[in-house]
Amino acid sequence: MGKPTRLSLTEAISLIKDGDMLTFSGFTIWRRPMAAIYEMIRQGKKNLHLVEVNGGTHDDMLVGAGCVNIWESCWVGHELYGKIGGNFSRKLQSGEVICEDYSHVHMLYRLAAGSMGLPYLPTYASMGTDMLNPEYDHLGKLGLRDGSNPKIPKKKYEIVEDPFYDSQLLHIPAANPDWCIACVQTVGDEGTVRVEGQVYSDEEAIKAADQVIILAEQVVTEEYVRREPTRNLIAPHQINYIVELPWASYPTGSFGFYEPDGAFIKNFYEKTRTQEGMDVWLNEWVFGVKDFDEFLTKVGVLQLEKLRANPVFGYSTKVKRGSR
Amino acid sequence: MAMTDHVKVDEFKPIDLLAVAAAREVSDGDIVFAGTGLPMLAIMLAQLTNAPNAVCIYEAGSVDGRPISLPTSVGDARCIYQASIASGLFDVFNQLQRGVVDLAFLGGAEIDKYGNVNTTAMGQYGMKPQKRLTGSGGNSDINSLAKKTVFIMPQEKRRFREKVDFITSPGWRIPKWPSGEMVPKKEIYNKAFRGGPAAVVSNMGVFRFDENGEMYLDTVHPGFTAEQVKDNCMFDLNISRVSGETELPTYQQIDLLYNKVDPEGIFLP
Repeated sequence: MGKPTRLSLTEAISLIKDGDMLTFSGFTIWRRPMAAIYEMIRQGKKNLHLVEVNGGTHDDMLVGAGCVNIWESCWVGHELYGKIGGNFSRKLQSGEVICEDYSHVHMLYRLAAGSMGLPYLPTYASMGTDMLNPEYDHLGKLGLRDGSNPKIPKKKYEIVEDPFYDSQLLHIPAANPDWCIACVQTVGDEGTVRVEGQVYSDEEAIKAADQVIILAEQVVTEEYVRREPTRNLIAPHQINYIVELPWASYPTGSFGFYEPDGAFIKNFYEKTRTQEGMDVWLNEWVFGVKDFDEFLTKVGVLQLEKLRANPVFGYSTKVKRGSR
Repeated sequence: MAMTDHVKVDEFKPIDLLAVAAAREVSDGDIVFAGTGLPMLAIMLAQLTNAPNAVCIYEAGSVDGRPISLPTSVGDARCIYQASIASGLFDVFNQLQRGVVDLAFLGGAEIDKYGNVNTTAMGQYGMKPQKRLTGSGGNSDINSLAKKTVFIMPQEKRRFREKVDFITSPGWRIPKWPSGEMVPKKEIYNKAFRGGPAAVVSNMGVFRFDENGEMYLDTVHPGFTAEQVKDNCMFDLNISRVSGETELPTYQQIDLLYNKVDPEGIFLP
């Protein structure tokens, strides 16, 4: 791999093909690549296969817009602003989306194994649960573990004797998604990635993927990020494309940059419980605007300014969060 | 009235007692894994009262933060204020697997008498689940590998089940695959067995688990009877070991909850 290429959001997203396997940066409603989600919906992506440590507002939107075929993960919701993924629940209940349930550790280890170039990792986590019930191996039941798709492991998991210390544990297969789309705070102009605050499972997700698109709040000189290499997470040779796009995680949050827009997420959750509601929402917020610039203009500068983080704390002190 | 006096029965809301009873489960010095919501109130209250040396780990990757503003989720920027480490899931879940976590607070939609918890789907599961919920998140991993877990749940008959529709989070008796035969947790976890569900705190009482891993009622919240609690369980709840009434919150605990832990009214409206 050479140095990453600077692209526009539209160009970067046009590289993703229908049926590709995707993973993302962030955690529930934090540092999700929302601008890329709107653009994938606008470009009409189909049959995407999501493999992620957990879901959130980003993939509930992608699922509601009909872009997703398979979801392998462990959780979806909008935290305080929506107790479940409304679009997910509807599409899973109707059988329109195939779901493979794992746990946090399982999904984390799938990507970690992928990031290490290993076929699997062992773990003790979540043994003796219905996630391991052979009846609930949905990809297996559908005949998708026949080896024809090299991204789908031949088994969901395996219970194995530990050859060294006389125990028994799970082997969880690696995942190497075609793409990781990651929202980060800062990237150098040659591609060194700096993530601030909690890094969630970004390192595993980025390093497991075959190709990586970085959406950066800011692109700075490479010289600047290399003054303090201990603060950096990923080197340029593991990144393929960079898109400079401030507010790209909105309405999810980004440490040091902005707070999640709880009211926006809550409204999305409440209005999109039905497909009709989702279609109306998409027409207003995705198809009704030309691009991400127009989307941000529609949100409004005053609203964004309220969410902007106080540089001392790393979060906003201006936004009303509770009832008092 | 002294701040250490107990409030009267009409001077608190049910949610206050949930937070206070959960906080009392923390021993000083415990390494605590906490999730979003009531668990945050419980651990922060415990750190201000009975457990000043407890360490809080949030699963998104923060260790021993000292937030001055209540996080609304574990991924919140506020979690790492004055933390010793801001890391990620790989660090903190590996710590859990390593065995450093003494206590964790969890929730769920349904629980059975062995402490098996469902957060995945109500009714029929499968390719077309009847009612899809969030899924496991870290709940199942934490219940697997922490020394002690405490569940905080609303008391409703349909939530305290003989058998949950989907075992997301493993209690004291769990299925051994591929047969699905129910066996003691220890048999499956081998060397990684360290414990399991220790208590359930509901809005009617505090439950514990006996030598066989079966739930029994320990204390009843003031205003309720043991029979009423039993009537709100679908399984035959053991009420022969009730030790008395749940201790009410003190004025100091209520003051801390509303003025120090959650002054903005995020989880305590």
